[in-house]
Amino acid sequence: MKITGNQSINASPDIIWSKILDPRVMEKITPGIEELEIISEDHYTAISKIKIGPVKGAFKGELTIKDKVENESCVVVLDQKSKIGNAVAEIAMKLVVLDNGETEVQYEGTAKMSGMLATMGQRIIGGVISTLSKQFFKALEKEIESD
Amino acid sequence: MGTYIGQSVKRREDARFLKGAGKYTDDIKLPKMTHSAFVRSPYAHAKILSVDISTAKNADGVVAIFTGSDGCNAFGIPTGWQVDFKNGDTMREPKHPLLAIDKIKHVGEAVAIVIAETQAQARDAVQLVEVEYEELPCVTDPEKAMAKGAPQVHDEWTDNRSFDWCIGNDRADVEAAIAGAHHVTEMEFVNHRLAPNAIEPRSYIADYDVNADKYTLYTSTQNPHLIRLLMCAFTLGIPEHKVRVISYDVGGGFGSKIYHYSEEALLTWAAKEVGRPIKWTSDRSEAFLTDAHGRDHKVYAKMGFDKEGMIVGFLADEFCAMGAYLSTFAPAVPTYLHGTLFQGLYTTPLIHLNVTAPFTHTVPVDAYRGAGRPEATYLLERIVSKGAKEMNIDPAELRLKNFIAPFDGVKQPGYQTQVALQYDSGDYHTILKKGLEKVGYDDFRKEQAEARKNGKLLGIGISTYIEACGIAPSAVVGSLGARAGLYEVGHVRIQPTGKVSVFTGAHSHGQGHETTFSQFVADKLGIPMDDVDIIHGDTEHVAFGMGTYGSRSLAVGGSAIMKSIDKVLEKGAKIAAHKLEAAVEDLEYAEGKWTVKGTDKSIGFGDVALTAYVPHDYPEGVEPGLDFSSFYDPTNFTYPFGCHIAIVEVDADTGKVVIKRFVAVDDVGNVINPMIVDGQIHGGVVQGIGQALLEEVVYDENGQMISGSYMDYAMPRADDVPMIETDRTTTPCPHNPLGVKGAGEAGAIGSTPAVVNAVVDALHHLGVTDIQMPVTPQRVWKAMQQN
Amino acid sequence: MQITITVNGKPHTHEVEPRTSLALFLRETLDLTGTHIGCDTSSCGACTVHLDGAAVKSCTLLAVQADGLKVTTIEGMANGNEMHPIQAAFKEHHGLQCGFCTPGMVMTAANILKENPAPSEDEIRHGLEGNFCRCTGYHNIVKSIQHAAGTLNA
Repeated sequence: MKITGNQSINASPDIIWSKILDPRVMEKITPGIEELEIISEDHYTAISKIKIGPVKGAFKGELTIKDKVENESCVVVLDQKSKIGNAVAEIAMKLVVLDNGETEVQYEGTAKMSGMLATMGQRIIGGVISTLSKQFFKALEKEIESD
Repeated sequence: MGTYIGQSVKRREDARFLKGAGKYTDDIKLPKMTHSAFVRSPYAHAKILSVDISTAKNADGVVAIFTGSDGCNAFGIPTGWQVDFKNGDTMREPKHPLLAIDKIKHVGEAVAIVIAETQAQARDAVQLVEVEYEELPCVTDPEKAMAKGAPQVHDEWTDNRSFDWCIGNDRADVEAAIAGAHHVTEMEFVNHRLAPNAIEPRSYIADYDVNADKYTLYTSTQNPHLIRLLMCAFTLGIPEHKVRVISYDVGGGFGSKIYHYSEEALLTWAAKEVGRPIKWTSDRSEAFLTDAHGRDHKVYAKMGFDKEGMIVGFLADEFCAMGAYLSTFAPAVPTYLHGTLFQGLYTTPLIHLNVTAPFTHTVPVDAYRGAGRPEATYLLERIVSKGAKEMNIDPAELRLKNFIAPFDGVKQPGYQTQVALQYDSGDYHTILKKGLEKVGYDDFRKEQAEARKNGKLLGIGISTYIEACGIAPSAVVGSLGARAGLYEVGHVRIQPTGKVSVFTGAHSHGQGHETTFSQFVADKLGIPMDDVDIIHGDTEHVAFGMGTYGSRSLAVGGSAIMKSIDKVLEKGAKIAAHKLEAAVEDLEYAEGKWTVKGTDKSIGFGDVALTAYVPHDYPEGVEPGLDFSSFYDPTNFTYPFGCHIAIVEVDADTGKVVIKRFVAVDDVGNVINPMIVDGQIHGGVVQGIGQALLEEVVYDENGQMISGSYMDYAMPRADDVPMIETDRTTTPCPHNPLGVKGAGEAGAIGSTPAVVNAVVDALHHLGVTDIQMPVTPQRVWKAMQQN
Repeated sequence: MQITITVNGKPHTHEVEPRTSLALFLRETLDLTGTHIGCDTSSCGACTVHLDGAAVKSCTLLAVQADGLKVTTIEGMANGNEMHPIQAAFKEHHGLQCGFCTPGMVMTAANILKENPAPSEDEIRHGLEGNFCRCTGYHNIVKSIQHAAGTLNA
C-alpha cells in the first residue's frame, strides 16, 4: 500500500533535520516506539507496540536511514516483525521550504504487510497511519518549541 | 401423495437446536482432553529457514509441539479426482504435507501444532514459536500464474499448470460457426473467489485408545466415511477398521466441509503420539485462510447467433485457480462439474470449453454450493442476456426461442447434449413462462419505462439454469477420473416390535434428512413417522456412505433406502403369506398390512416383524430377521432446472443496488417436504445474491488475504435481501424410485446471474453492458460515470 | 478472579482468568454449549445472550464484566419441555436449518420483540443485522419472528 502525506512545520529545515535524525528524539516522539537502540550510524533496532483496529502487537525490527542529503531528504526503511505479522516500509522524506518560511515535510512510500496484520488490519491501516503521523508531527512541533 | 410425502412436516431435528441442545463437535468434551493451536505462515510463498520451539515447549500448559519434520508427513493429503491433460499426461499432483516442511505455498499454511492443556495456553505458546522465513515472490491470479516468468508454486514442474482440459465439439468447428455467425457476443470477466462461511467453524477432536489400538475422530464433516477412507488409506496409512469417524451435528457445510483437511489427519496422528484426546476448533480468521474457497475463474467467451437469434456456437477459454494444493474434489469442479453444463437449456449445436487450471499461492479452491454449475450458469445466462440486448431481442423471448423442447425421459428420450451429459427430463418453456407470469414481466416493463422518466433506475434480470445433481453413476465418474464410487448406502433395520431404524450414508448438516427421510420411509411402509428413526454421521453405525454434496442425498441416498425397503417388503410378504396361508402373489401391501386380495384377511407390519424375530411359525427356507442394506448406484445424474428473476432498483446517486423482488421457480422433481425444499431455495438464492452483490475474497499483490474477517468480507445480512417468492413445476426424475432431482444447490446456481442481469438491465440505457461482481455501489457508480 | 453470575436463574460462582470471554465461560465452565462461537470480530451473533435482559454478544464481553449480573442463554428460554413462543415459531415456520446460528437468532429475536412488540418486516430485518445465517436466507427467520410477535401479543 502507498503512504503519502505532508505536514508543514514552523521551523527551518536544519532544525527539523537534526530532530528527526536524533534517535533519542525519535524514540520520544514517534507514537508506538518504545525503544530505539543504535546498531551503527543511521541503523537502529526498534521495539514498538501498535494497535491497528482489532489487532494489537509488539513489533521488533530494524530502522535504517539511507540516501541522506543533509537538511533536504532521506529514505527511511522500516522492517518490523511481530506475532501478528510483519511490516516492511520504505518512505522517502523531503524537506521543502515554503514561501511563508515554514518547512513542509513531504513523505511518500510503500508499505507491505503480512499475516494477521494484512488480513485484519489493511482495511484501516490508512486511517491508523494518518492518525499516527498527526501524533508524530504534533510531538515534533512540541519538541521544537520546547528548545 | 401419501400421508407424509408432499407434506410440509415440521422438522424433528428442530427441538434440540432450538433449545441449545445440538451436539456440534466443539460442544464435545472428552476426559483428559487437550487443546491445540497452529503456527501459520504470514507469507504466501517463503522458504522456512528455521523453526525454534525451545521457548514454546516450556510454556505453561504445553503438552507437545510438532513440526513438519516430526513424522506426520509420511504421505500427505490426497486428491479425490484425477483430470488428465489434453495430451493424456496425468495431472500434476503436488505432495500436500500436513505441516509445511521447507516451503510455504500460501498464507495460513500450518508450520507447527501446539498442544496444551487449555485453548488459551495453546494459543499463547503459538506466539512463542520462532519461525524464520525467507519471503519469495508469489502469484495469486490464475491467469497471471500462467504468464511467462510467473513465480512458481511448485518447483518440481516448469510452469504452474496442474492440468489443461477441454470438452465439447471440435474447437475449429465451433470457431468456424462463430466466425460465420450473424451476431457474436463476447464477454470477459472474473467469476471471483468466495469463502463458503458455514457459520460453524471447522472443529475436530481426535482420540486414541491404546488398549484397543483404535482411533476416534469427531469431525465437522459432510461425509464421515469418505474422510475415514482418505485418511486411513492415503494420509496416515492406518487400518480403516481401527478408525471411527463421527460427525454429529454440523453447522452448515456448503461444500467446505466435504474435503479432507490436514488438521483432522494431524490431530488423529498426534492423539496417538501424546496419548490424550486433542481438540482443535478453527476461529473465523483461520477459517478464511484455510477453508477451501469457491470459484476463481477468469473467463473469455464468445457466443454466435444467427439472424433469427438462434445460438450457433459457444466457445470459452478459462483460467481456473486450483490454489496451492489440489483439494479433494478441486480438479472436478472447473471440468466435469462445469463444462458438462455448457449446453444449459439451449439447443446450441456447437460448444467448446477449454480450461487451464494453474496452481496459485492461495488456499485451495474446491466445490462451493453449486460447484462448477454456478460458474457455467453465470457465463451462459450473462452472455445470452448480453446477446439479447445487443440484438435488441427481449431476453425472455431469446431464451424461449433457443430452449430444448419438452421431454419426459419416458415417452420421449433424454436429451443428448454436446458436452457428454444426457438430460433426464425437462420442460423449460413452461418454467420460464411461469416465472414471467409470477413476476408480471410485461407490467414490469411498463413500470420500468415510467420509472426511468422520473430518473428511477429499475431493472429486471432473468436467469434460467440446469444442473447435474446426484452425481453418479460410479462407472461413469470413474472413467472421468473420480477415485471413489459415488453410490450411496441405505440400511433399513426393522426392529422386532415393528419400529424402524434407518442408517444412511448421506449426512445432514441443515438439510433435515431426519425428517424428510422418515417421511418417505413411513409412507412406503405405511407406518407412523414416529416409528422411524434416521441414523447418520457415524462410521461405526452406518456400513458405508459417500456423504452429502451435489444435491445428492435424496436422489442417491433416498434411493438406496428405497431399495432396502423393497427388500423388507419382499421378505415380509413371504412371512405374511405363510401366516395368512396364502400365496405371495395373492397379497397386496397397503397402509401397513398385507391383505389377501379380495378378502379381509390381513396381517400387520408389526406382526410380521415380530414373526421375523420370533420365527416359531415360519416359512421354510426363509432366514429370520428383517434387516437389509443396499448400495444404490444411479444410472444417470438428475437434472433440476429453473428460472430465477430479480427486480432491482439502483440508486442513481450512490450506485447502491436494492433487490425489490426475487422470484424463484424451480423444478427439483418430486418433492417430499415442500417446506424444506423452499428453505433450501431461500438459502441458496441468498448465497447467490451474496456473490452477485457483496462477497469477495481478495488477495493483495503480496498474496495476503485482505478480506479475512467478517468486517472485511461482506456476508449477506437480513436487511440486504427481500422475501424470496418461490414456486415450482414438477417433472419427476424418470430413473430413481422417488422421482426426485435434488434441491440443495439450485438457489445458488440460478440467482447470481439473475441479479447481475437485473443491474445491467437497469443501467443499459446509460450504456452499461457489464459490471464485474460483486456489484458494489462503487462499481455501479463508476460504470454509470464512465458511460 | 472470582465471579458470581446468575445464569438462567441460578447463581454460579467460579474462579476465572480475567481474559475469559463470557461465551467461553458459559461453554467451558458451565457446559452451556447452546451459546455458539462463529467468529472473532463480534459480527455473526451466534453467541448472543441476554445480560440483565438486553441482548449482548457474549464473545466480546469478558466473564468478569458480567460479575453480579443476570445472564439468560438459549437453554433458559424454554419452560421445561414447553418451548418459548419464539422457539415454537421458529419450528413452525422452518426458521432454522443447520441450527448453529439459531440460539443467537432466538435471543436476538426476543430482544427485537421486547423493544418493539409489533415490528414491521423492515424493522425485523434491521434488528437481525448483527446475526448471520448462511442457511435460511433469512426468509423463514423473518417469518418466524413475525408469527412469534403475533403469539406474544395475543
